[in-house]
Amino acid sequence: MPTAPTFPEDKQINDVDDLIRSFERLGYVTDRALATAVYLVIKLGKPLLIEGHAGLGKTEVAKVLAAMLGTRLIRLQCYEGLDINSAVYEWNYQKQLLAIKIEEKIERAIEEKEKYIFSKEFLLERPLLQSILAEAASPVLLIDEIDRADEAFEAFLLELLSDFQITVPEMGTIQAKHVPYVILTSNRTRELSDALKRRCLYHWIDYPSFEKEMKIVRAKLPGIEEELGSQVVRFVQAVRQLDLAKPPGVTETLDCAQSAMSLGKHRLDAQTVEETLGCVTKSMEDGAKLKAAGIEKMLS
Amino acid sequence: MPQAEPDHSAASIVEFCQFARDNGLSNGVGQTLTALEAAKCIAPADKQVFALALRTVLSSSKEEWDLFSKIFELFWSHSQNALGPDSKEGTEPRFNTHRPRASSRALLGLSEGDASQSERESKVVLGASAQQRLQKMDLANVPSDDLLALEQISMRLFRKMSLRLARRRKIKNLAERVDVRRTIRRSIPRGGDPIVLAFRGRKLRKHKLLIFLDVSGSMNSYSLFLVRFAYALQKYFNSVNTFLFSTNAVEITDLLRTRDLPDALRGLSQRAAGWAGGTKIGDSLRDFNRQHGRRLLSRNTVFIILSDGWDTGEPELLAGELRNTRRIVRELIWLNPLLGLEEYAPVTRGMRTALPYVDVFAAAHNLESLLALERYL
Repeated sequence: MPTAPTFPEDKQINDVDDLIRSFERLGYVTDRALATAVYLVIKLGKPLLIEGHAGLGKTEVAKVLAAMLGTRLIRLQCYEGLDINSAVYEWNYQKQLLAIKIEEKIERAIEEKEKYIFSKEFLLERPLLQSILAEAASPVLLIDEIDRADEAFEAFLLELLSDFQITVPEMGTIQAKHVPYVILTSNRTRELSDALKRRCLYHWIDYPSFEKEMKIVRAKLPGIEEELGSQVVRFVQAVRQLDLAKPPGVTETLDCAQSAMSLGKHRLDAQTVEETLGCVTKSMEDGAKLKAAGIEKMLS
Repeated sequence: MPQAEPDHSAASIVEFCQFARDNGLSNGVGQTLTALEAAKCIAPADKQVFALALRTVLSSSKEEWDLFSKIFELFWSHSQNALGPDSKEGTEPRFNTHRPRASSRALLGLSEGDASQSERESKVVLGASAQQRLQKMDLANVPSDDLLALEQISMRLFRKMSLRLARRRKIKNLAERVDVRRTIRRSIPRGGDPIVLAFRGRKLRKHKLLIFLDVSGSMNSYSLFLVRFAYALQKYFNSVNTFLFSTNAVEITDLLRTRDLPDALRGLSQRAAGWAGGTKIGDSLRDFNRQHGRRLLSRNTVFIILSDGWDTGEPELLAGELRNTRRIVRELIWLNPLLGLEEYAPVTRGMRTALPYVDVFAAAHNLESLLALERYL
């Protein structure tokens, strides 16, 4: 059985509120629900599955967690057709081939030669193996957009997440010295398997409330005028109520506020919104819908 | 709601996990253990964190996430002593009514009389929603004894078709380029001489099918047979999802997944409310896109609409939704039973609106035309 992640003594997190404060120091505004989930990841060493719409800071959680713990962040971006070779390990064939040619001249037993060819020196470590091999402390392993990988890969992941070991046929089984903190994110483009979900803690990340979004804007854009900030947030929150194909996330709020600031505006008016429409809506139809709903009206 | 302090003792947590499972969450024993561990490492006084911790442990999807707080409040507020038998009995039945699974069971139970009635009649109409049938349906042109024969033939032919498709995939799966990396890998046991070449071919992805079947009044004489078609496709293809629509969309994938077709059809008559009613293709498609689009549609989905195109909804809405759908899926196929009629021209408003967005427009009035679908899969 793998042991719980090793935790750096000096960065002890005693309770959920501690964690909220630490996250906020690193510029990530969070609520108690998410903080509790992350706290349990640290305490129980269980993987955490975060689902939610795009642009709400799912990936950011892993980054901030790694920064807070002062450990390495290892990221695996999933895509359709992701295979073991690019996720776990691969042999460096060219180098092996050269080594074989060189070894031809050297007197050594065949077994020894073979052992050398399949030694660590020739192993290319991909993210999942890296996370298992970490020497110093538990790294944070971010498996991003798991819903994009196919079912076969998901099944493979299942084994890794329960035992934290990887078998390389030529070398044997490698057991994790330090069990990584695992964060998985999903955009819910497909349903994940029950087996995977059952192994994970779960958090649904929703659109933030007005207060929380204001806090995020203040944290991310320290120079912003209060008036402009609250206008932008109120506007984007109103846009979310429209029936758009891609409702704007927090990223879009920040983009919108940022562009208004760079344009030297002190308040958000209809003209500014129209000029920077691409910050909020990401398709022609959504833009048209927004205009049809009346930008003036939504700003007031 | 008046609330008692949650009791952190192991017994009540286990009790709560069971309660949650009974009320629609899918947590197993593993989660119960995790919940106990989680409770150990949080401050016992902080009720909010306690709830949040249990939520993150026990739920595993957005739906369960939303359901959780209700379950939590109910359990801890009603059970001063969580182990008390009377509190459990008091809460459970009341809450159970919120459960979709239970409510559908209740629906089945309530309409017991109807069900047996429709069962008797299903020998003739094979499962159309009993009341609707009496009001609108005229199935004179589909005699039931013919239907059985037709069904057998069609099942045989659909099976052949799917085998042919599988074979076609294999033949197409020929090598295209030499894969240097794998060639070298394979050469290692032979001392580095590339004797066996490895090839890289294009990986053939199986397409997913999505069937969107019109069961409105105008499709009456075809829809029952087309459901059988969907059933056959679902039986022989790996990934098929089926929806019925008239004024809104209803998923029937799970019903068609049974082994027994009559069973499936009986279930259908319980579920499809708008059977033989009006048609609103645009509205139905919008419902579908909103609720299931992201989950079920992707670049390798073939979207099949089976409808005659008699639409009473807004043409703009239909056009917009078709445009959205078309942009996501690989191919949009519209099969129209009326296309089999010689004098038919697609001039109805709905059909005219739809045609620009449709990749394939073909007939679906008989078995032959349905089998021709093979060409597009």
